Amino acid sequence: MISARSQSFVLGLIGITLFLIAWEVIGIYRLAGLTWPPLSTVLAFLTTPAKLPLFGRAAAASFTSVALGYLCGAFGGLALAIISHLIAPVRPGLDRLVAVIHAIPSIALAPLLIVLASADATPPIISGLGVGYIFYVAATSGLATASASHRDLFAVLGASRLSVTLRLDLPSALPAIASAMKLSVPIAFIGAIIGEWFGASRGLGLLIVSAMQNFQIPLLWSAVLITAVASLAMFALFSLTERLVQERMR
Amino acid sequence: MTAAIAPLAHLVRRYWAVTLIVVAWQIWVSAAGLSSIVLPGPLAVAADFAGDPLSYARPAALTFAVAIVGLLLGFALGAGLAILSWSSRILNGLLTPLGLIFTSIPVVTLIPIIARLLGYDVRTVIAIVSLICFFPAFVYVGAGLRALPPGSDDLFRVFGGSRRQRFTRLVLPSAVPNLMLAFRLTAPEAVLAAVVAEFLMGTDGLGYMFRKAAGEFDTERALATSLIATITSVACFGLALAAERRVLRRWT
Repeated sequence: MISARSQSFVLGLIGITLFLIAWEVIGIYRLAGLTWPPLSTVLAFLTTPAKLPLFGRAAAASFTSVALGYLCGAFGGLALAIISHLIAPVRPGLDRLVAVIHAIPSIALAPLLIVLASADATPPIISGLGVGYIFYVAATSGLATASASHRDLFAVLGASRLSVTLRLDLPSALPAIASAMKLSVPIAFIGAIIGEWFGASRGLGLLIVSAMQNFQIPLLWSAVLITAVASLAMFALFSLTERLVQERMR
Repeated sequence: MTAAIAPLAHLVRRYWAVTLIVVAWQIWVSAAGLSSIVLPGPLAVAADFAGDPLSYARPAALTFAVAIVGLLLGFALGAGLAILSWSSRILNGLLTPLGLIFTSIPVVTLIPIIARLLGYDVRTVIAIVSLICFFPAFVYVGAGLRALPPGSDDLFRVFGGSRRQRFTRLVLPSAVPNLMLAFRLTAPEAVLAAVVAEFLMGTDGLGYMFRKAAGEFDTERALATSLIATITSVACFGLALAAERRVLRRWT
């Protein structure tokens, strides 16, 4: 008797394999036209030694933007959430500001940022704005999850507002923050890539858009594949962290 | 007297931060004497829009329509596939990890691939928007179909409800809140995806209008276009929110 868990694991593995086979078959028989290369062609292109420096440079630039944007966005979003938690009257205004900034299309922000900062600073800033939004929303709701009885206890013992925030509200917000860590991974990548579509001097986004315009199909798919796999790996890592935090905090 | 001040105070409490930034922007542009090609102030942007609002109306309507059609198409496909995979355990096992993988990668990077596959066309924009809306719909509806109120499933079994009855009377209604949540979260993204796709491919709509204006260094027009895109996206969110509230009031 196989457990339900390992059964769904095997089925999932089969599903992914079928997807990869379909990708290969559609490519080989050109079912979707000339612009759909088989998986093997893309992988062969990716592992060509001559192409490695190209991908290495582009990936290094993009991943630096992602890391920078992710860190600044995470801490910025958290700091803003704590401020709006500590000083209640500013909260409605900050909520609106964050929502409005989030609603501005990133393609509209990018040219502004190129003027205000520089072309190379644009990808991390867009990435950071997206990540900061997720962290702000998750943290403001997470900071309000502490139970009323705990809050009463802190009040009876004469804790200051700051110490209630640091010792009660922040720890009880950890599960929400862990979810935000996971959910903001693809957002961080999207921000960096879109930022690079506007005149960055290097990066995977630049590679993707120039390959699209110049009909370099294997290059296009390879650059997208690198981005997707990197995002997936980071997402998987943070899913694990989220699970650990949720088990610890239960 | 206080009755007149109350709504104003409410407005100030909600919009002080946004107002502060817009005012700071205007003061900075005026004080630094920036050329309007580099960065026009908010007043100049508003003036450009007010001078010729009709020229914005057509691209905005097109982008809005494309986003809505793509959104609905993506949701129909995503919810449909979620229901199909609910009815078959094997299909569910095969598709769930794939759905998860696609929600954890930056789907926007697939836009250039779809653009090359389908050609630069309005239909491609619709396909891109529906692809981006498909995955949240699939994942959220799938989760909703499985999160039944505790005990309700047993009740249906005890009273001998058929599989079909169980589906239409229990499983489908309990997935509706999740479906509407996904709809509200995805609606503004649909507009933004449409704008990015139009920008990259140069097909008609707000994205193309922005690209053209930016290419001609008409920064006032470019910024006004992005303002309209923002308003369109917020309007989409507002419509989805109203739809969600309405549906939830009827269902619960």
